[in-house]
Amino acid sequence: MEHIIGINNLSKHFGSGETHVAALSDVSLEVRQGEIFGIIGLSGAGKSTLVRCMNLLERPTEGKVLFHGSDLTHLKEKELRLQRRKISMIFQSFNLLDQRTSLDNICFPLELAGVGKKEARKRAMELLETVGLPDKANAYPVQLSGGQKQRIAIARALASDPEVLLCDEATSALDPKTTRSILQLLQQINKERGITVIIITHDMSVIEQICHRVAILDHGCVAEIGEVESVFSNPKSKAGRRLVSPKTENIPLSTWEGHVARIAFNGNASADPIIASVAMELGIKLSILGADTRNVDGKAFGTMLVSLPEDITQLRKVMDYLNSFEGVTAEEVQ
Amino acid sequence: MFEIFTDPVKMAQQMEVIVNNYGFAIWETLYALALEVIFAYVIGLPLGVLLVTGEKDGIRPINPMVMRVLNAVINLLRSIPFLILMIIALPLSKVIVGTKVGTPATIPPMVVAAFPLVARMVESSLREVGHGVIEAAQSMGASAWQIITKVLLPEALPSLISGGTITVGTILGYGAMAGIIGGGGLGQMAITYGYYNTKYLIMWAAVIGLIILVQIFQSVGGRLAVKCDKRLRNKS
Repeated sequence: MEHIIGINNLSKHFGSGETHVAALSDVSLEVRQGEIFGIIGLSGAGKSTLVRCMNLLERPTEGKVLFHGSDLTHLKEKELRLQRRKISMIFQSFNLLDQRTSLDNICFPLELAGVGKKEARKRAMELLETVGLPDKANAYPVQLSGGQKQRIAIARALASDPEVLLCDEATSALDPKTTRSILQLLQQINKERGITVIIITHDMSVIEQICHRVAILDHGCVAEIGEVESVFSNPKSKAGRRLVSPKTENIPLSTWEGHVARIAFNGNASADPIIASVAMELGIKLSILGADTRNVDGKAFGTMLVSLPEDITQLRKVMDYLNSFEGVTAEEVQ
Repeated sequence: MFEIFTDPVKMAQQMEVIVNNYGFAIWETLYALALEVIFAYVIGLPLGVLLVTGEKDGIRPINPMVMRVLNAVINLLRSIPFLILMIIALPLSKVIVGTKVGTPATIPPMVVAAFPLVARMVESSLREVGHGVIEAAQSMGASAWQIITKVLLPEALPSLISGGTITVGTILGYGAMAGIIGGGGLGQMAITYGYYNTKYLIMWAAVIGLIILVQIFQSVGGRLAVKCDKRLRNKS
């Protein structure tokens, strides 16, 4: 079975009557075995609800949650608890047990599973090594920094030898530097242990750094889903564009008279000075109305809004020229 | 009430009573207190847990009707004045300990008065445990029982101890009043020997004994709560 987790036509509603809220409506997606899958959306998009449906911390109102092809929603409680050991989870607020040491926190899932104390401790020590904190075995959570707490939480999540690791905004409470190191750790865990990682975030750079595929969630629906590169370079949905290039997406075009083009960079053209080339080759000056681009592994991603000439023939020339670059898509938006 | 201190003869007489009875009064106070606290927790602790786990969004919801009745009964018992409740519950002693008089007879009514307090104390302590930690345990496949015994109670331990300290102090106070219905101990010494017989030195001695006991329990309990709270440990 290629898909480790499948979400089929899943809906989740909260409340009833006037307070009724549809957090998720008809969501379907598949997560492939061994990949790092990102789910991104603005707050309120339903990301956290979706990830909680994957281990049934939230019961979907409708639809199926498949793990290795079998529907979790049909399991008896005891069977579900056994399955949950294979789907670990880490959280934004770490959720460590404050009254236990790091080591005992990591032992906790093993204790739940009835593993002997001695064996549990041995395994917990190994995991402390994995997350790079062997000297913090006897430290209590209050004595740890945010990044260290998340490392302990990751070690704890790995203790039950899971197949899937769900990360619910796991880096949102951390500074950028710590975020990077935690993401590197997740990447390492994914590579070395073959654990499928599902990352929930509102932060595009998290997706950019480690995800293979991404789903964009908007108002409880999947707006688009695909390889990170292609979603980044050319987001097809409005929600996608808003996330990928929030700056250019928020420029009120109506204040600008005349034609406007959106140029999307999909990763191959960072070395090409496109705007300068238009000026030199075609003798047409474009002004940049807004730009939101970023460099990923030496490739340019993002979008730019430029004004187009009034003259239709010149405008066509510019558009054709821009589209002739590899990895650049230009479209007229006004 | 203070004029006793100007009468050396009476003071000497009463002093003799105090010396002869004080040790036994303290012993009676403490053993009744211990039994009352134990039984109050045997009943109150599970109820307090149930108040948290059994509600609609709890980890193991039970019939809402049962929850409503439980809450109502606890509130009812908490709102009846202690002295009245003790008198109402006294027939219970006849059934359980076989007599309505003496120190053992005061224990069942005391437990009836104290367990609702314990249940509420436990409830409020357990509610301090963050939802996230419970969710994390659930995500690891913990059963409701495992969440109660391995997450809720241990994480709430410092708060449970603080609550326990308050409970012990309150029961000690109730116990002193039990002197009125024939319970022994410092309370009886203060009220029956002392106040009713206008032997005020005896009364004062018993009252001071109670004050010292409360101080000891409070400081031991307070220190214990701080000591076992791993959230308070300074960064080393």
